Amino acid sequence: MSTAARATASLGVDLDRVTFPMSLRDLVRRRLDGRFPIDAFGADPQVQDVVAPLVSSIVAVDVRHAERIPRSGGALLVSNRGVGLAEPAVLAMAVRRVVGRRLRIVGGPDVPVIGGLVRKLGGISNRGDDVGVALRAGHLVAAPLAPTWLRLGAGDPPRTLLAAALGYPVLPVAVAPGGPFGLPLRPWRMDVGEPLEAPEAVQRGDPLAAAELAEHARDAVASMLRASD
Amino acid sequence: MKRVLVTGMGGEIGTRVAQLLEAHAEVDEIAGFDIDPPRRRLRRSRFARIDPRDRERVVEFVTECAPTVVAHFGVYEPGSRLGGRDAADATEACTVHALGAAVRAGALEHVVVRSGLVVYGRGRHRPQVPDELAELAPTTHYGRMCLDVEAVAAGVARRHDVSVAALRYAAIVGSHVPSPLGRVLRLPAVPIPAFEDPPFCLVHQEDAALAMVEAVTRRHSGPLNVVAPGATSPWQAVRLGGRIPIPVFGSGWELAARLCDLAGAPVPDHTLELLRRGHAADGAAARSALGLDDLRPAQEICADLYEWATVTPLRTAEAVA
Repeated sequence: MSTAARATASLGVDLDRVTFPMSLRDLVRRRLDGRFPIDAFGADPQVQDVVAPLVSSIVAVDVRHAERIPRSGGALLVSNRGVGLAEPAVLAMAVRRVVGRRLRIVGGPDVPVIGGLVRKLGGISNRGDDVGVALRAGHLVAAPLAPTWLRLGAGDPPRTLLAAALGYPVLPVAVAPGGPFGLPLRPWRMDVGEPLEAPEAVQRGDPLAAAELAEHARDAVASMLRASD
Repeated sequence: MKRVLVTGMGGEIGTRVAQLLEAHAEVDEIAGFDIDPPRRRLRRSRFARIDPRDRERVVEFVTECAPTVVAHFGVYEPGSRLGGRDAADATEACTVHALGAAVRAGALEHVVVRSGLVVYGRGRHRPQVPDELAELAPTTHYGRMCLDVEAVAAGVARRHDVSVAALRYAAIVGSHVPSPLGRVLRLPAVPIPAFEDPPFCLVHQEDAALAMVEAVTRRHSGPLNVVAPGATSPWQAVRLGGRIPIPVFGSGWELAARLCDLAGAPVPDHTLELLRRGHAADGAAARSALGLDDLRPAQEICADLYEWATVTPLRTAEAVA
């Protein structure tokens, strides 16, 4: 059991694995007593467990190759996204459903109030050092490519984030809306690609290796998006 | 042969560091000085009550000791044992005089200094959870004090072939350690941010002492973040103690800080920053380098903060005849 897991075991909620939801009465009592886990990024699993069922009831997702997502340990999912929060929300819901893990999503806004709320839901900043810390702590992290207007193709890859992820599994993920412009006419489609091979014998943070891995990730996401059209 | 000088030996943690060092057979001599006398019984440590600002006495004591290792706990957190200005003066004097004299004594091999997560500062465009490689840009008075201490120690390392470790502690709290955060959290009503609940890390007083001892005995070199696993938040810390949270925003914090001060809990700027913006860090490197596998988690530390020994009044003897 990891140190962080031991730290929160007594609080009945796991920081990485999704646990059974507690009753509303228990939940309120624990909030009032202060008996709930938080991690250093501000993620609040109790709040996540309240919000997740609401989002799941609105968003339906079909996942292909879910078996490729690691069941434990740090890994980076590189996915496409459009403008807005739809793709990250779909990704988090799908990962939660198929592997029972909580996803840390890169790109939480660094502003008061909203930033705090996003961090509670699993958002982390888009800095390479924060991504490195989350991966070392054994979290599953999602780093979106740059947003594309009208959700056409894969955007620019986050090179600094991939530099921090060297040495960890990196998986390309294509997320496509069921209906045009993300309208919930049909379930969303999520396709998980094969883990990308990082160049061998590179040090973490190597900019050239990271740029190479970033291009591979974008190409893999783009080809999966084309295949799903 | 290892002679260890513990500066700040009169504080709760400094005394505990000396106690733990006494249990190590490879440590031949332990000496220390401070403004206050030690908080617990020390069996084989030598203590002198010296104000660190008294240069002559500090230099004389340290020269006579000729330490091979310095455990520099003479870094006074403002609002803890000393007020802001006094804390800064005592810290600067203790660092310069004690380290300078230790170097001149000629036997110095290793230095471990107390620092804090405050050296990373808080604000936009900074990592949420900095590791030891993050940029050092303190935003508070105590942060700048700690950075100065690290700079002096780094200078010693550069010029005198001495290994130096800096332990960047999260806020140290416990039931018996004087700390500004602990005092604020123990008030009956505690100010918390109205619209946020930022995470912050803690470390227990006992674990803080243990980390220092491990850094001394393992001769670790380089900076390490010493933080307990997990984190807590103002709301959680206040509710774990059964206190009343008072939501505050904007300029209301100034008033809240003044009221806390009047109630006996001065709020220095680094404590105010912690309550308003949180302060977390990655402590994985310290856990691995110093073998700190059983650090108390943040919530347990919070609970411990409120656990005062219950005082049971003795009943007067009853007549039996």
